[in-house]
Amino acid sequence: MAGAGAAGLALLRPARSWANAPTAPVAIARCPGYGPEFLSASEKLFDQLGGLGRLVKGKTVTIKINLTGEAGMRLDHVSAGRTTWTHPRSVATVVHLLDKAGARRIRIVEGAWAWAASLEEFMYLANWDARLVLSAAPRVELVNTNLPYKGKKPYTRFPVANGGYLFPAFDLSTAYAESDVLISMAKLKQHLTAGVTLSMKNCFGCSPTTIYGDKLPLDEPSPVPYGGRGEIGHAGSRQPPKSAPPEKDPKSPREPGYRIPRFVSDLAAANPINLAIVDGVETITGAELPREGYTKPVNPGVLLAGTNCVATDAVAMAVMGFDPMAERGTAPFQKCDSTLKLAEELGVGTRDLKQIEVIGVPIERALFRFLDHVGPVPPIE
Amino acid sequence: MRWVSGPLEIARRGRAEGFSLQNKQILERFHDPASLDILKNSAVDCLVLSWAAGLTEDALQQKSAGPLVAAARERNLAVVGWVENTADPQAAIAAARSAGLAAVAIENFKGRSDFPVIPWGDRAKMPWDAPGPVLAASGNVWPGVSMPGGGSSAGPTGAPWVDSNGWFLQMARARVSRPLWLMFDPPAKGRIFAAADYETTVCDSEIAGGRWVISLDESVRAGLIAGNPAAREIFGRIGASIRFFDMHADWRTFRSLGVLGVISDFTGDNYEMSGEILNLAARRNLPYRVIWKSQALAQPFTGLKALLYADRQAPEAPLRRKMMAFVEHGGLLIAGPEWGPEGAPADPGFDTQFAVRTYGKGRLAVAKDELADAFQVAGDAQLLVSHANDLVKVYNAASVGCTLVLGSPDGQRDLVQVLAFATGWSSGARTVWVSKKYSGNTRLWSIGSAQPMLIEPAPADEYFGVECRIPAGVPGYFALEFEA
Repeated sequence: MAGAGAAGLALLRPARSWANAPTAPVAIARCPGYGPEFLSASEKLFDQLGGLGRLVKGKTVTIKINLTGEAGMRLDHVSAGRTTWTHPRSVATVVHLLDKAGARRIRIVEGAWAWAASLEEFMYLANWDARLVLSAAPRVELVNTNLPYKGKKPYTRFPVANGGYLFPAFDLSTAYAESDVLISMAKLKQHLTAGVTLSMKNCFGCSPTTIYGDKLPLDEPSPVPYGGRGEIGHAGSRQPPKSAPPEKDPKSPREPGYRIPRFVSDLAAANPINLAIVDGVETITGAELPREGYTKPVNPGVLLAGTNCVATDAVAMAVMGFDPMAERGTAPFQKCDSTLKLAEELGVGTRDLKQIEVIGVPIERALFRFLDHVGPVPPIE
Repeated sequence: MRWVSGPLEIARRGRAEGFSLQNKQILERFHDPASLDILKNSAVDCLVLSWAAGLTEDALQQKSAGPLVAAARERNLAVVGWVENTADPQAAIAAARSAGLAAVAIENFKGRSDFPVIPWGDRAKMPWDAPGPVLAASGNVWPGVSMPGGGSSAGPTGAPWVDSNGWFLQMARARVSRPLWLMFDPPAKGRIFAAADYETTVCDSEIAGGRWVISLDESVRAGLIAGNPAAREIFGRIGASIRFFDMHADWRTFRSLGVLGVISDFTGDNYEMSGEILNLAARRNLPYRVIWKSQALAQPFTGLKALLYADRQAPEAPLRRKMMAFVEHGGLLIAGPEWGPEGAPADPGFDTQFAVRTYGKGRLAVAKDELADAFQVAGDAQLLVSHANDLVKVYNAASVGCTLVLGSPDGQRDLVQVLAFATGWSSGARTVWVSKKYSGNTRLWSIGSAQPMLIEPAPADEYFGVECRIPAGVPGYFALEFEA
C-alpha cells in the first residue's frame, strides 16, 4: 500500500509510545509441581516482587484463569491442568495467598468458550473440585464472564487506552469493573494463531461470547452464548451487536494473524492486568491445545510473575527460547504480528529485556526451548 | 436373524421404486434351504421369517417355506414366523404349527394360544403385559450419527445428531425382565454399510440389555449368497459382536447406577416427552434410572440425587408424598408447571426454564411453562443435577458417544460401557474417569479379545475418583469391569 491510502491508514494507528512504555520487575522461580512446592515457590515469587499485600490488601481481586478449549480434551492421558489450563491447585494456592495478603474479596473469572451455565458447573464438568477453590479463602466467588453480570449493569464499557487498534472500547462483564486488581493466571504456551499465549492472550477470554461470540443477534447481546470467538475475534466476519462499539476500521485485514494480536493488545490496554502469573510448571509445546503428532506435554518447572503484563510476557517468551523483540515472520510469529510489540506500542509495557529487571532464577537457567520439544507433524490451523 | 425371503417379501418389496430382477432373485435364493449354508459356524440360532401380512401371498409364503423350515430345524435353528396385525393371527398360528415353526411373533397379540407367541408392537405402544417368552419392538432407529439423505445433520446445539435405541431398552428393561428383541432394518437407500456400522448397531442394543434381530442390507445379503469375502467379513464381525455379549450374558442383569430417576407412565403424550428426555439425557451422558410410575411407590430412591417427573398428570397422593419426602431429605425434584407452590425461591445459577426453590434440605425445580422441549429439559436437568454428580467422564472420546454405568444385582461389580457412534473415528488416547475409588485390577473388555486386558486405575490428578488409561487401538466400544 502506498500514497494517500497508506497515509490514511497511518492516521488510524495509535501513537508509537514504545520508547516510554512502562516496565516492572519480573520474578522467576523454579517449581517442579503443583503440590506444596507450588505454595513455597509462589510465596517466594510474590515476595520478590515486593509482596502481594501492597497490591491487594483491602481490595477486590479478580483472577482470570485459563480454561480454553473443550472440557473433554486431553493431550494423551495428561489432565488439562498439566498441559493447557491453569491448574486447579495453583488457583487455590494463589487464592490462599491473596487472602493471606489481605484481599477483601476474591473473584475467579473465565468465559469458557460457549459455556452458558455457572463457572462452578464448568469446573465440575472439567473435573475440577470447585470446592477446593471456593474454600481456599473466606470470600471467594466464581463468575462466568460470558454471561450478563448479575445486578443492575450486566456489562461495562472499557475504553482502550491510546485509542486501540481494532476497537475503541469493549463491553465486558461488570465483574471486571467491580474489581480493584486484575490478575491473569496464564499458562506458558505457544499459540497457533498468536505465536504465544501468555498473560495477555489469556485475557482474550475476558471478552464475553454474548457480545464477541459467534451466532449472535445484530442489535443486543445474546442472553446466553452460542459459540466461540471465531467470527469477531479471529475472522472479523461480522461486527459485535450494535449495543457494543464497532470496529474502528471494518476494512482492516480480516486475517486472524493480524486481528488476534490487535484484539488482545486492545484488551490489555482497556482492562489492565495488575499482576501477571505465567505457569510453566507443566505445560504443552507447539500449540495452545493438543494437536496430534506435534504438541507434547513438558515439564519446564518454572513459574513467572510480574506487575507489567508485557514485561512478564517478554521474559516468559525468553524462557521459552524465543526473542521477545521478534517481528512478524520470525518464530514464534511466523504467521502473525507480535502481540507484545503491539501492546508495547499502545504503551502497555516494554518487551525489551534490557529494560526489564529479572529477579530470582536467571533466564538462562530457566530456559526451556519449546521448539526443541515439538513433534514432527506440523499442525493444521 | 431377520430372514428376508420368499413370495411375501417379493410382493411387499416389489412395490418399491427401484426393485430389480436381481433383488427378486436374492429373495428367492434366501428362500432356498441351501442359503442356510451362510450360517455355518455363525452366532445365529434363530430365524425370523415373514409369515403373514394379510396379503394373498401369505399362503404361498407359508407353503413354500416348508423346505427352508425343515432344513433350519435340522441345523438346530429355531424359526419364528413374523405376523403383522393386518393378518389373521389364529390362521397364522395354525399354519406355523403345521409348518413346524418354533413360535410366531404377532403384532399387538391379545388372544390366547397354546402355541408360543412372541408379542410385538411399535415401541411407542408396546404390549408390555402380553404374555410370551420374548417381547419384540418395532419402530426403532438405525443407530449412529444421523445422516438423512446421505448428509450429516445437526442437533439443536449444532452437534451431530445421534440415533440410538439404548434409552428405549433402558425404559423397557425397567418394566419387563423378558428378553427384548429390537426389530429394524438398515436404511434402504443412501448409504453403504461397513462392518463397523453393524458392530455399532449390535452394541447399541446389547449394552442396554437388548438384542437387535440382525437385518442385513441388500448388498450384504447379495454378497453372502454370492460368497463375496467382504460380505462374509461383515457377517463374521456381526457374529463376533454377538458372541462377545453372549459371553457376558450376566451383564444383561446389571442395572443402571444413574443419579437421576425419571418417573413416568411412558404412555401416550407422556411417552413422547419422557421418552425423548431419556433419549436426549443419554446423548448427554446424564446417567439416569428409569422408574415406571406404577412401580415408583415400591421402588426405593436409594442412590438417586434427583427425580424428574414430566408427566402431564399429577402423581397420586402417596407417590407425591414420597417424592416430596425425597426432596425434604436433600434430593432434587424436577417437575412440570402443575407441581405446586411449595418452597422458597432460590437462584438456579443459570438461565433455565425452571423456577428453583428450596424445600427442606433439597430443591424443587418447577417448570415456569408447559414442558414442550425435551432437549431443553434434558439440558437443564443435567445442570440442575450438576456435573459434580457425574459418575463417569471419558476424555478424548468422540463427541458422539454414549456411556452406560451399570451395577451387578449383588453389588459386587460395576460396569462402565463406552460406545462411540462415529464409525471410522480413530481411537486415540482415551482416559476414563470414574467417581468411585475402585482399587485393584480392572478388566478392560473389547470385542475380538477373548481375554480382558488388566488396567490399574490411578487416583485422579485433579479430582476425587480414579482414572483408567485406555490404550490406543482399543476400538470404539469397550467395557470396564470394576470390582465394587
